[in-house]
Amino acid sequence: MTARERRTRILQLLQLIPILSVLVILFGGALVMALLQSLGFAPWFGINTFPDFSYFGSLWGSQTFWVSLWLTLYYATVSTLLALVFGTMLALALIKAFPGKWLYKYLYKLPLMIPYTVGIALAVIMLSSGGVLSRIVAFAGLIDDPGQFPQILKTHYGWGIIAVYVWKQTPFITLAVYAVLLGIGRETEEAAAILGARRGAIFFRVTLPQILPGIVSSTLICFAFNVGAFEAPFILGGGFPDTLPVVAWRYFNDADYTLQLQGMATVVSIGIVAGVILFAYLWVYRRYERRMGRH
Amino acid sequence: MTQVRLDSVRKQFGNFVAIENLDLDISSGELVALLGPSGCGKTTTLRMISGLERPSNGAIFFDGKDVSEQAVQDRNVGMVFQRYALFPHMTVEKNVAFGPSVRGESKAEIARRIDEILEVVQLTPFRTRFPAQLSGGQMQRVAVARTLITKPSILMMDEPLANLDTKLRVEMRRFIRDLQQQFGITTIFVTHDQIEAMELADRVAVIFDGQLAQYDTPERIYRYPRSLDVADFMGATNIFPGKLLSRKRVSTALGELDCPHQNDRSVGDPVHVLLRAEALDINTGPFTSEGSGLRGRIRARDFFGASVTYRVTCNDQEIDVTENARRMLDVGDDVQLEIAPEQVWLLSA
Repeated sequence: MTARERRTRILQLLQLIPILSVLVILFGGALVMALLQSLGFAPWFGINTFPDFSYFGSLWGSQTFWVSLWLTLYYATVSTLLALVFGTMLALALIKAFPGKWLYKYLYKLPLMIPYTVGIALAVIMLSSGGVLSRIVAFAGLIDDPGQFPQILKTHYGWGIIAVYVWKQTPFITLAVYAVLLGIGRETEEAAAILGARRGAIFFRVTLPQILPGIVSSTLICFAFNVGAFEAPFILGGGFPDTLPVVAWRYFNDADYTLQLQGMATVVSIGIVAGVILFAYLWVYRRYERRMGRH
Repeated sequence: MTQVRLDSVRKQFGNFVAIENLDLDISSGELVALLGPSGCGKTTTLRMISGLERPSNGAIFFDGKDVSEQAVQDRNVGMVFQRYALFPHMTVEKNVAFGPSVRGESKAEIARRIDEILEVVQLTPFRTRFPAQLSGGQMQRVAVARTLITKPSILMMDEPLANLDTKLRVEMRRFIRDLQQQFGITTIFVTHDQIEAMELADRVAVIFDGQLAQYDTPERIYRYPRSLDVADFMGATNIFPGKLLSRKRVSTALGELDCPHQNDRSVGDPVHVLLRAEALDINTGPFTSEGSGLRGRIRARDFFGASVTYRVTCNDQEIDVTENARRMLDVGDDVQLEIAPEQVWLLSA
C-alpha cells in the first residue's frame, strides 16, 4: 500500500467513525444489555441468575403473548399494506399533470410534519363515539344518537391505530415511490402502451417492477416502525391483550421493578420477530432482484 | 402498408402552441423525416400520430380512417424512442415478447416469432442479456425488434441515429433502410440533424415553430430551399442579398452572376442568392473575364480528409467553396470562382 492509498484509507475511516460509534456504542451496547437483562443479568436490582431462560419461558408459554404478537403483526401489516396501496396510487397520480398539482404536492406531505401524538388526538376527536364523525352522522339522521355510532377506537380490530398509521405513512411511501417514478420517467410506460398494453398490464409488468426498490425500502421502514410503536396502540387500542410494545411498557412501568427483566424479554422478542420478518422480506426481494438481472 | 394524413392538426399545451395547423401526407411505405430545431413541435407531431398525445384540433387519418380519438393501444403503431425505453427488468427476449404477450398471443407463436425477429436484428446470441449489458447499437436493435414483432402499420423513430457513434451510424442507417425496404413499412422519424434526415428519408418535412416550412425530397430541400430559414437550417453558408438585372442575371456584392430563367420574378426584384459551397469551381488561372467568374483570394482552409473547404474573399465578401481534396491550394492564392447558372438558386427576399 502506498502512502497515498494509506491516506485515503485513513480518511475513509474518519468519515465512518461518527456513524460507527453511534451504532456500536449506543445501539450495540443497548442491544447487549437488553439481551443480558432478559436472560437474568441485573445485579443493580439484586438479580443475577444469568443465564436464565425463565423470562422467555413464561412469556412465550402464556397464551396472551401469542395474541399480543398476532395483534402487533396484524396492525403493522394491515397499515403498511394500506399505506402502500394509497401511497402508490397517489404517487402515480402525482406523476401526471393536472390543475392544482402544485398545491396537492404540498398538501399531501402535511401529515409527515405533524407528530404521531397529534394524529392520535385527531383520531380521538374525529372517530371516537361522541366524536365529530358520530355527531355528523347523527345530525344527518343516519343514527338517532351519537352513542349508536359503531365503535371504531379501542377495539381489537384496531381501526383507529391503522387509521393513524396509514394517515401518517401514506405520504412517506408516496414520497419514496414518487422519487423513484421521477427517476424512471414515463417512457417505458408509453412504450408499453404503444406495444398494446392496457393500464393494468402496464402497471404490473412495467411500472411495478421498476418502482419495487422504493416500495421495499419504504414499506420496510414503515413496518419496522409499526411493529415497535407504542403510543397509537396504547391510546387507541382495545386494551388487554395489548400489542407487544404496550406489554413491554406495562412491565417497565410496574411498581415491581424486577418485572423490568420480563419487559426486556418482551422487547427482545419484538426484536427477534421483527428481525426475522424483515430479513425474510429482504431475502425474497434480493432473490427477485437477481432474477431481474440486478445485483 | 398504411398511408398517413394529418389534416390541419393543431396542438396546444396550456398557452403554448406546439403545432399550428399542420397538413402532412405520407404515402404508404414511405420513409419520412420530420426535421426541425429542438422545440419546433416535431416530437409532438410524432406523439400525436402514435396516439400518446391527442390533437387539440384537426384530425389524423390512417388509410383514410380518422384515428384521432383512437386509444394508443388500438392504433397498431410502433415507436422506437430516442433512449430506447427498453424495460430494464426484462431480458432481450422478454422485451421483444412483451408486445405479442400483452396482445394475448400463444406462447408457441411468440417463441417462433422471437427466433425469427432476433435473427433479423442479429441479436440471437444476446437473447438472455439485460438491457444494461448491451451497447447503444444493440439496445436500439432490441427496441426495433420489440416494435417490429407486433407488425405495426407505421414505424416511428425518435432521433434514431442521434446516440450512435460515426461507425455505428453508417451501420444503423443501412440497417433501418434495409428493414424498411424488407417490411415495406411506412416509417416516420424525427430528427434535428439535417444530415440524418437526408441520409435516411425519402421525403423530409421541415418544421419551424410548429409550422410546416417545406415538404420535399432531401435533394430538393437541399438544393432548392423555399425560404431563408430552410436554407440556413440545411447548412447553407453562402447566401447573399442581390437584385435581378434581367430574368437571367443577378447582381450581388460578389459581382454579377447568371442564374436560371426567373418566370415568377420581375427585373429589379430584391432576392437572396444561394450558392452551394460544392457547386462552385475554383479556377487557379489563367483567368478569363467572361461568364460568371468571380475573382478572389483564399483566406482560410479547412481540411476534412475527403474534402477541403476554402474560405475565399471576393469583393470584400466571404464565400465558402468545398471541393474534393485531390489538390491543395494555399492560403493567399488568387483564384477565380465559377458557377454554372443552373446551380444558382434564388430565394425571395
